[in-house]
Amino acid sequence: MVKVKIISLDKYFDKVRAVNNINLEINPGEFIVLLGPSGCGKTTLLRCISGLETVTSGKIFFDEEEVTHLPPKSRNVSMVFQSYAIWPHMTVNSNIGFPLRIKKYPSQEIERRIRWVAELLRIDNLLDRYPGQLSGGQRQRVAVARAIVMEPRLLLMDEPLSNLDALLRVRMRAEIRKLQENIKVTTIYVTHDQVEAMTMGDRIAVLNQGILQQLGSSEEIYHHPVNNFVAGFIGSPQMNFIEVKIVKQDKNLFLKTKGLEVPLLDEFKEAIYKLSDKTDYILGIRPEHIYITNQEQKDKTYPIKGKVYFAELLRSDTVIHLEKEFGFLLIKAPGDLKVEEGKDIEVLFDLLRIHLFDKDTGKAIF
Amino acid sequence: MIKKGIPLSLKIRPLITTIIIIIIVIWFITPLILITLSAFAAPKDYYQIDKVIPTHFTLNQFKSLFFGLQAWKAIVNSLKVAGLTMWLSFLIGLPAGYALSRYIFPGKNFLKLFILATRMFPLMVLAIPLLIIFMRIGVSDTVWGTSLAHTAMVLPMIILISSSIISSVSVEYEEAAMIFGLSRTQAFFRVTLPLALPGLAASAIFAFIISWNEVFVSTILTLTNRTLPAHILKTAMASPDYFKFTAGFIMALPAMIFIFFVRKHLVTMWGIALK
Repeated sequence: MVKVKIISLDKYFDKVRAVNNINLEINPGEFIVLLGPSGCGKTTLLRCISGLETVTSGKIFFDEEEVTHLPPKSRNVSMVFQSYAIWPHMTVNSNIGFPLRIKKYPSQEIERRIRWVAELLRIDNLLDRYPGQLSGGQRQRVAVARAIVMEPRLLLMDEPLSNLDALLRVRMRAEIRKLQENIKVTTIYVTHDQVEAMTMGDRIAVLNQGILQQLGSSEEIYHHPVNNFVAGFIGSPQMNFIEVKIVKQDKNLFLKTKGLEVPLLDEFKEAIYKLSDKTDYILGIRPEHIYITNQEQKDKTYPIKGKVYFAELLRSDTVIHLEKEFGFLLIKAPGDLKVEEGKDIEVLFDLLRIHLFDKDTGKAIF
Repeated sequence: MIKKGIPLSLKIRPLITTIIIIIIVIWFITPLILITLSAFAAPKDYYQIDKVIPTHFTLNQFKSLFFGLQAWKAIVNSLKVAGLTMWLSFLIGLPAGYALSRYIFPGKNFLKLFILATRMFPLMVLAIPLLIIFMRIGVSDTVWGTSLAHTAMVLPMIILISSSIISSVSVEYEEAAMIFGLSRTQAFFRVTLPLALPGLAASAIFAFIISWNEVFVSTILTLTNRTLPAHILKTAMASPDYFKFTAGFIMALPAMIFIFFVRKHLVTMWGIALK
């Protein structure tokens, strides 16, 4: 277990700033997920930590030791690659034992550790095979086994599940998380899949265009996104964004646009009063926070009427596309709901669950 | 009545392909067969005008070529030159190919083109200045000198081919090796090289054969230490015709044997290089 500290890390590829002034502190034994769309710099950041990529400026510490300019072999980290990268000219046994043999462990110890890790990942019957004779899932296990056999101080994973089929991915998600808890290794896990991030990470670091957007637990990221990028990236279907103006009437504040007039609850008013007199904002509300029927929160909801344009019948849920003057509103409703396309329905905004973003900067106000 | 079944054009296509292949094979193999037959033909059979296929065979031409005309010395020279060319071109070409494959650096594309520049000038233009330089530094008429010249000839190809072969080995294999305790050099020798070996071996043999077959530069650069093609040009060409065929057969033999063994890799080698 190691504590990782990254201080104002920059990485340029020619003139492209792939990693932009990132500061990150990862606690010993923590499972942290780097999440972001493709090209956001998450893999580059991971490769900088591994030493496979040089950094342009900034520092990386493992505990108190600075590793910024150490070659990968001196960092004592291990990695699971997206393509697994288990060497095709070696058997499973040689692949897993490779890190130990390089570090000249005694042969008994090598045997013991290979057996331990092979049993842990249930590949002990495959040790004599070559990678070409294994299925995708088995190769993945071999890659994980090779990564943990030396009991590294830091485990790096670069989208390790993206080449697996959906069913296997769900199982490996749980398995990798349990494994990490068992061997208690600090883990940095890169993914673009928000489900993986939400289910596996102790904390999630959301990246976009090389910039760290938000670092927090899945709860914080989901309920309190710091800007409209994080809000839109997390959650499926995506959060509804509606351009609104703040309007004051008597003592009440309203978020207003054509066909919509959402009253603000008292708990949010203070945040508004702190703002300048700018009036253009973006209202955000998640599809799952718009209700079809009244769910005992009558006083904290706001009714809105619209025409059903389309209903995605997923059977586990129904996603309703509601046609409004300001655009389409997505609503996540129960799967057994009966909706008719073209019919008018009434839905309820959960006023406690709305978000407000600055229109220019995208920063969250609440 | 409409007949159901495979359309005529689809039936004919494989037939046409087969015929074309047969024609190509005949085109290439007929001279080889004739050379081989004539190489072993007894002189009186060879000169009998109504006998296309000889019936009496002998090894006399081989004996007198090898020993009388001292071709064995030339063969030894050729083996030395070709072997040395192979090693030299890999010593220089492999690191260059690796760099072209794995690193991004300014001027990379220009360099790739520039590598081929040695092939831009006809050999006739280069040969005389080369001989003068070689005489000055004292490597003319030596095995070393000839293989240096041959190395210069095959190097562009070795660099480009080895770069494409190394590119075909996923860089992640190498990175994994670096993560798990090896330096970049060690990772190259323990992981990349074994994976690239079949293709590299094929291109090594390719270099060997080019050097083995090369006649012009060898003839100009050497007088006493001639390689086989240069030697044959000097001696066998002044001998009876069946000697020429014998010499041709000796020349073609190693190339044919090598290509037979590496033909699978030869295809992948060029397949990757052409990508």
